[in-house]
Amino acid sequence: MHKNRKHKSDLIILFATLGLMALGLIVIYAIGPMRANVLNSTYGTDYDPNSFFLGQLRSVILSLAAFFLAFKVIPYKYLQKYAKPLMIAAILMSAILWVLAKAGSSLAKCELGECRWFNLGVVSFQPAEFLKLALIVYLADFLTRKKTEGNIGKWREFWLPFLIVCGASLALVVVAQGDLGSGVALIAIIFGMMLMSGIPARQYLIMIAVVLVVSVAAVATSSHRMQRVDAWIATLTGSESTDSTYHIENAMMAIGVGGFFGVGIGNSVQATGYLPESINDSVFAIMGETFGFVGLFLIIAIFGLMLLRILKVAEGTSESNNRLFVIGVFSWMLAQVVVNIMAMTSLIPVTGITLPLLSYGGTSMIFIAFAIGLVLQLSCYTSREVIANEDISSRRGVRGSRYSSRRRSS
Amino acid sequence: MSQNKQPTKYQILRSIVLVALAIIVVRLFFIQIVEHQSWVAKADAQHTLLETITPKRGEVYMLDKGDPVAIVLNQSTYQIVIDPAVTEKSVIEDVMKEYAKDYQAADLDEIYGQEGLRYAIVAKNIPRTTAEKIAESGAPAVWLKKTNQRVYPEGELASGLLGFVNADGVGQYGVEGSLGNLLAGKEGLLKTTADINKVALSIGNDNIKIPAEDGKNIVLSIDRSLEKGVEDLALAEIDKTAATNASVLVMEANTGKVVAMANLPNYNPSDYGNVADASAYVNYTTEVPYEPASVCKNFAFSAAINEGVMLPSTTYFNQGYEIVDGWKIQNAEQRSILYGTIDMKTALYWSLNTGSIHALKLLGGNPNSITQAGREKLYDYYYNKFRLGRATGIEIIEAEGFIPDPNEGWGRDSVYANMTFGQNLGITMIQTATAFSAVVNGGYWRTPTVVEGILANNKIEPLTSEAPVEDKILSDETSAMMRDMLVNNRNYKVRAGIDRAGYAVGGKSGTAQVIKDGAYDDTMSETVGTYIGFVATEGELPKYIIMAKMWGEGHYLDGGIASNLFDTVSNYLIDYYKIKPGA
Repeated sequence: MHKNRKHKSDLIILFATLGLMALGLIVIYAIGPMRANVLNSTYGTDYDPNSFFLGQLRSVILSLAAFFLAFKVIPYKYLQKYAKPLMIAAILMSAILWVLAKAGSSLAKCELGECRWFNLGVVSFQPAEFLKLALIVYLADFLTRKKTEGNIGKWREFWLPFLIVCGASLALVVVAQGDLGSGVALIAIIFGMMLMSGIPARQYLIMIAVVLVVSVAAVATSSHRMQRVDAWIATLTGSESTDSTYHIENAMMAIGVGGFFGVGIGNSVQATGYLPESINDSVFAIMGETFGFVGLFLIIAIFGLMLLRILKVAEGTSESNNRLFVIGVFSWMLAQVVVNIMAMTSLIPVTGITLPLLSYGGTSMIFIAFAIGLVLQLSCYTSREVIANEDISSRRGVRGSRYSSRRRSS
Repeated sequence: MSQNKQPTKYQILRSIVLVALAIIVVRLFFIQIVEHQSWVAKADAQHTLLETITPKRGEVYMLDKGDPVAIVLNQSTYQIVIDPAVTEKSVIEDVMKEYAKDYQAADLDEIYGQEGLRYAIVAKNIPRTTAEKIAESGAPAVWLKKTNQRVYPEGELASGLLGFVNADGVGQYGVEGSLGNLLAGKEGLLKTTADINKVALSIGNDNIKIPAEDGKNIVLSIDRSLEKGVEDLALAEIDKTAATNASVLVMEANTGKVVAMANLPNYNPSDYGNVADASAYVNYTTEVPYEPASVCKNFAFSAAINEGVMLPSTTYFNQGYEIVDGWKIQNAEQRSILYGTIDMKTALYWSLNTGSIHALKLLGGNPNSITQAGREKLYDYYYNKFRLGRATGIEIIEAEGFIPDPNEGWGRDSVYANMTFGQNLGITMIQTATAFSAVVNGGYWRTPTVVEGILANNKIEPLTSEAPVEDKILSDETSAMMRDMLVNNRNYKVRAGIDRAGYAVGGKSGTAQVIKDGAYDDTMSETVGTYIGFVATEGELPKYIIMAKMWGEGHYLDGGIASNLFDTVSNYLIDYYKIKPGA
């Protein structure tokens, strides 16, 4: 299958993944008890101080298992073979969840009115995360097939099935599950993969325009989404605080208090109940308070490095199907990282989205770890030539790269 | 896709990554470095819990056979505090309905109508048992805050002396007001970083905790049972007469220690708002100067005897009246047997104003007229020696009153003539009783006291290190002669069987006209009755001074009515203290 001989995997991606998981675990260890305390005293729950740390530990162990399973055990080509059944299964799962939620079944787990999880007793499962991975696998296969068949860009053969699958996925995630964050990730995946699939540029731009119009309309027609935009504008213009601006103000307060070096692990005050979602979506803000500008800069550098290395894996992957998969994972990570951090720094309105590998959460971490594992697997089969011809800018700071030399430039 | 086009697309993606992350880093630099201080300030405002720690207010004790017994205590009650941003309105409504209906302190609609409110007290004065139930119910985001409330196990007892604590926790009137600083203690301060539920965190370096200093427990010299007995007797006397009010002071004659201080009618200090007007709170024994009338003849007589210009046997010619500065000053007692030459003892017995005016004349060295020297001498005794019209130094709030200057103004002679029988001056009961103690106790003026000390570790320690005044102002002989005359005054009480054999009970009445429209009301339609006296074992020095005052607006209440109250109190004292009769 692989044109290139197998070589060592990308160690930077490997260590960045493990490092981020460890960091997330440490931060949750420090702020988990505060979270438990706040929930217990505010909502009368009965969380053990260590319950969030243990939950995260469990997620990390499962994620590591998924990661190494994808990295070492399951060849990507098997997944590729089952691309269509996987996609159907993923869409079915979300559809079933929707039906269960409508029927009021206890199998559907809802929070704040949005039903995004299957309740499986001791664990819960978020089908949207599976859907993201399945869509990447499916689109990689679909786009490669259509390219080979010469059908890409054709209405009946290409756009109709493409729009049905993507539309159904988005509708289930955004409308049925009310998960705008996952919707943004899906759109990023779709457009990232389309960009590399050989779709005519004109059609690509028309699609972007269509999505923009639909997005603006979706925001403008929903009072709930408009409120978030209003709140965002309010924080930007420094208008008076309201309940809607509370979240973002407290996220920025946490980051701002961190200063240059941060207040240190265990000294976060914002995590003691002031900042909502402090352990999941807002964990970046707590890290800002804890580790300061230096810490956040390092975290961003790690993410940036990881993203660039994933891009490089894609660049070096000659096989279209594999390359598109890697681009899909790249787009997924990029969307989650950038949207999460920009929301926390009030560069965009708040969107509920997790920070990959750092946020508290089971399903999202397991699936992204699995996806990165597959990228690492594919990184063993990159070709020398492309890497040798890479732009020097992307190599800057990548010390010890096996195939490049600092002195060489093109 | 051609091979030479692909790098361009990767470059686009690479640029997207770098530009997006660069924007974020610049933004972070702005928030974390440029705006750092302003975020720290905002965070401090949000995180800092500044709380005063309320000290425990001191308790008030009286004595019971010499042992302290609490009469003003603290009770812990609880407040319900909510954070309207966290507590659902329906949750707190349920809690209020279930447990705290009677303790509601705020309008919930108003609280929830306020944007951004994070702290509100919705119920107050909840007893501990109810508070425990609320805590057990586990209602989320509902906090209970402990507060202290004053309780008075003796009810209305001595309310005029004790005062009360208002809704803000500030002592008002009486001991609560006068010794408020001692009782209140010192507030502590807690400045700390707190979590969203206002629970203090150990995070942060500038946490401050200054512990509160609890208030002092004050032991009054008042004897609880005696106070109760005296109050009951005074109430009974009010019931029997037209009087609406009565005040009674009982002091130890040789120490200045007040053992009973009654102001009737009492009010309920735990329901202090429920009185007709603020005069109900007044302690008439120390706060209101008045004219005790003929009671003051004791002071004029003592002065003249002590100056060696008069004896009880000294005689003068009584014609029933005296004209001074053109004013006709009459005796109240006009029976014919008193006309002519009579001695001072008789004059005091019948309370003749001409007698005390004669004493003033003798003080000035001229038995036929009042002189400047006489006025100055009387002033010296009243103001400097008996300390009338001056604060006595008792621990609670007191008025000064006034003694007219002997040389200034118009009609000095008539003013001073009036002063000999206790008019034209303003003095308080405590001043009068303290001065009277000196008259009968051998001549010692001692600072009156109502505070035994401070109770700490089961020991009573003195309130101040300042020594009380002890001033020998009269000779032993003067005092002895006065005692004789005062006992003689009560001959008729002995005959009536009121004063028991074996005891020396002496006293003097006073009936004061009330000033109406700027002049003394000669119709005597309203008078204030006063009686002052002492109780002693026959042949010994007096043990207790009793002063009683009875009044009622629009009523004639003479010293005789006050003397009836004195009679019952003096006999009660003998029984209560088991004062032994003389051999």
